[in-house]
Amino acid sequence: MDTFIYSLRKFFQSIPLIFGVTLISFVLMVYFGPDKTYDLLGKNPTQQQIEEVHHQLGYDQPFLTRYFIFFKEIITFDFGYSDSTGEKVSSIFARTIPVSLAVQLPILISGNIISIILALIAAYFRGKMIDKSVMFVAVIGMSVSYLIIVILFQIIFCSSYGLNIFPVQGWEVESFTSYLKYVTVPVLASVFLSIGYNTRFYRAVIVEEITKDHVRTARAFGTHPLKLLFKNILKNSLIPIMTRIIITLPFIIIAGSIVLESYFSIPGIGLVLYDAILTGDLPIIKAAVTWTAMIYVLSLILTDIMYTVVDPRVTLK
Amino acid sequence: MQKKLFLLFIFCTISTSAFAIKVFKYSVEGTPTSLDPVQSSTKYQNRIVSAICDTLYDYKYLKIPYELKPNLAAALPKISKDGLTYTIQIKKGVFFSDDPAFKGGKGRELTAEDFVYSIKRHFDPKTLPRGAWLWQGRIKGIDDWKTAGSDYKKQVEGLKAIDKYTIQISLVKPYPQLVYTLTKGYSAIVAKEVVEKYGPEISIHPVGSGPWVLGSFNNQKAVLLKNKKYREEIFDLKNEGYDEKIHGFTGIKSLQGKKLPIVDQIEINFMENFSMRWISFTKGSEIQFGFIPEQQFNNVIASRNPLSLNKEYAQKYYFLPQTEFAFRYLNFNMDDPKIGYNKDKELEKKNKALRIAIHKAWDWPQYIKTFFDDLGEAYPGIISPGIDGYDPTLSKEYITHDPEGAKKILKDNGWTAANLPDITYSMVSDIRQNQMYDQFRGWLITIGYPSSKIKKQTFASFGDYSKAVKSRKTMTIAMAWGLDFPDSENVLQLFYGPNSSPGSNNSNYNNPEYNALYEKASTMQPSKERSEIYKKMHKLLLEDSVTIAGFSRTDLWVWHKNVILYPVENVLGNYFKYVDIK
Repeated sequence: MDTFIYSLRKFFQSIPLIFGVTLISFVLMVYFGPDKTYDLLGKNPTQQQIEEVHHQLGYDQPFLTRYFIFFKEIITFDFGYSDSTGEKVSSIFARTIPVSLAVQLPILISGNIISIILALIAAYFRGKMIDKSVMFVAVIGMSVSYLIIVILFQIIFCSSYGLNIFPVQGWEVESFTSYLKYVTVPVLASVFLSIGYNTRFYRAVIVEEITKDHVRTARAFGTHPLKLLFKNILKNSLIPIMTRIIITLPFIIIAGSIVLESYFSIPGIGLVLYDAILTGDLPIIKAAVTWTAMIYVLSLILTDIMYTVVDPRVTLK
Repeated sequence: MQKKLFLLFIFCTISTSAFAIKVFKYSVEGTPTSLDPVQSSTKYQNRIVSAICDTLYDYKYLKIPYELKPNLAAALPKISKDGLTYTIQIKKGVFFSDDPAFKGGKGRELTAEDFVYSIKRHFDPKTLPRGAWLWQGRIKGIDDWKTAGSDYKKQVEGLKAIDKYTIQISLVKPYPQLVYTLTKGYSAIVAKEVVEKYGPEISIHPVGSGPWVLGSFNNQKAVLLKNKKYREEIFDLKNEGYDEKIHGFTGIKSLQGKKLPIVDQIEINFMENFSMRWISFTKGSEIQFGFIPEQQFNNVIASRNPLSLNKEYAQKYYFLPQTEFAFRYLNFNMDDPKIGYNKDKELEKKNKALRIAIHKAWDWPQYIKTFFDDLGEAYPGIISPGIDGYDPTLSKEYITHDPEGAKKILKDNGWTAANLPDITYSMVSDIRQNQMYDQFRGWLITIGYPSSKIKKQTFASFGDYSKAVKSRKTMTIAMAWGLDFPDSENVLQLFYGPNSSPGSNNSNYNNPEYNALYEKASTMQPSKERSEIYKKMHKLLLEDSVTIAGFSRTDLWVWHKNVILYPVENVLGNYFKYVDIK
């Protein structure tokens, strides 16, 4: 009950933050964003037609009126229709977010699990060959361009020049098997990349923990290395690790991945957002900003709650 | 037991083949955003829209030069002697495909009134139309109908359904290109019920009477399914312009007498990423149609003249180099007093000399080699070979790199490094455009232009760039124009004074002599006299050096050998119905 009340209180306290974020974003979109009008014109437009499109897009209304409309949209969660495609924004999100999640969640989960395990091993054998090898792989993951990794994985796993066992593009997911068929290579490529950054970060956190007195005491006590790693070290390192993981959730849910979606033809939210930002499709941008702000707030609340789970000394007040 | 297993195997094989559907997996490099006919401004949109919704006319599939044929219309239009009234009969018994928008979910018969309604939508600002320019100021009363509030209940004087199957279009002045406009996706016919049911979402839910119905559509792929209610249309080789010498290698001959559309499903993959597109194409089990990307050129091409594939690829794929139906140009903004018109007539004269000098500095072969795999040749001006008005006798000096000549012109006209104006190259900010700017800068430096006076103006998106162009805020305009129909009027209107920005004349060229010739020619039916006027206009443009043009890219189409097709990626919207899979 306390947790629920805390979450509710925290959420209401964050409402000004959400509106602040939306206001700042709206100012940026209106005054500095691309003008969608010129994307929607025919090949030989007249000044009158330009004004008509301006009017249809609501550009001719005063800023306050436009923000008030946005405000109403936030309250009702109805952001209207995309200026580019004419499709309802809620339908676009409902169609694309699950696809992005289906790709991003396995990346998030497997990428972090593998990184934590590698970081634990590297930290435990700090300065030794294993540590150096893990860090070497991590540095490769960090240094090689994402695009190169994606293309390399496509050639190895998907092309007639390589193993040719997975599709290079498309998303015809009808069953778990077909899901695995389409998701494997994008996940492998992204996990390879994410391992680099995550392992280095987690190793640093774990190394700090490993040098603490309670670990030395446990060692002296003869605790089994596995127990020492998972119970004494990992559990106590979880706060920064969790923060890092949870904080990426809004981006995973709303932002998707532009690179993966464009290179594997995955109909997710990433490319939709990219195009919207580039062309100034305000209804989509407005919805994305609002949803990101809200999920961010929820993620912060979740982070606080999770702190209490992993560290009993933390209380929600 | 063995016999039973054998019989089971045979049964399974027969069943599988009996139920196997033919799917053509096609790919394009661009993504359509809307499938509403009134917004079908790109070739990617046009192709899908005209596959789903019928147009009155179409081009013969294989015929070059392009030739019109009736599609939904029963015959070519009857044109009054004064060229002002077009009477068009449409086919009877054509039905919209089934959709919940119709009573009982069953598509109703398409009538002349549906065509009238579909064209009216271009004059209703709420639909965000992009095709009105084809008919505004041309169809009697259509602009007044819009000014009066676009009330669909009110009639347009020049756009009528005389009866259920007869359309009558009355024009303000003769418009010989009208029939061409009726082949475009813009003129594709939708039903009022569908528009009313789906509102703006008709863009993702078009319903028509064409050979295909939309199965699914997102930003990666569109799936078209065979319209089972499609009218009886039989493929006729002769009528479609088949020529054994040109089309024989494709196997199209075997399509004779087949009912259209032939395959059951078309998958249109939107693949802007060339490396993925090529991997997918060569994989064997994915896309069956694509083009050879620049990066693969040396691996795949065996010879440049004539263009051919190397043995390994030639065994697996059909190949066709095809010149795009578009041209690339660099216009000067004549509204800019530093390069174009000027109140000071002496300076205006000097500006013309400056434009000619820049024109002479332009090195087409180097441009084509750098950015287009050294494929194709430039031609003088904007009228490409094969189109009415093309003049093969035009001097090559308009496309000859002549730095010495440029230097001389600058010197003769009193231009020195000190008094030359800053020249700005405007572009969307991307690597390729930056490279083009650097090349342009290099050419100008060779004619003595001070490096510090050559600048670039960059824009984050094409929309922003377009806004600046339409607001006359750029000094130069580097763009391409895709022809809407095979008539030089479509390119010559790009320099017609009244079409100045924000219209299609982004050079803001306004030459009374040119304008008068355009006005005369634009109402003329194709004739020798009209061709001569076109040539004269074209010459004026080149002499005034308003534009540095032109070049049309060569596309290298490839497709799997189990696919029977002949790529017509230019003006023909809907050629999917002619595709077969072996």
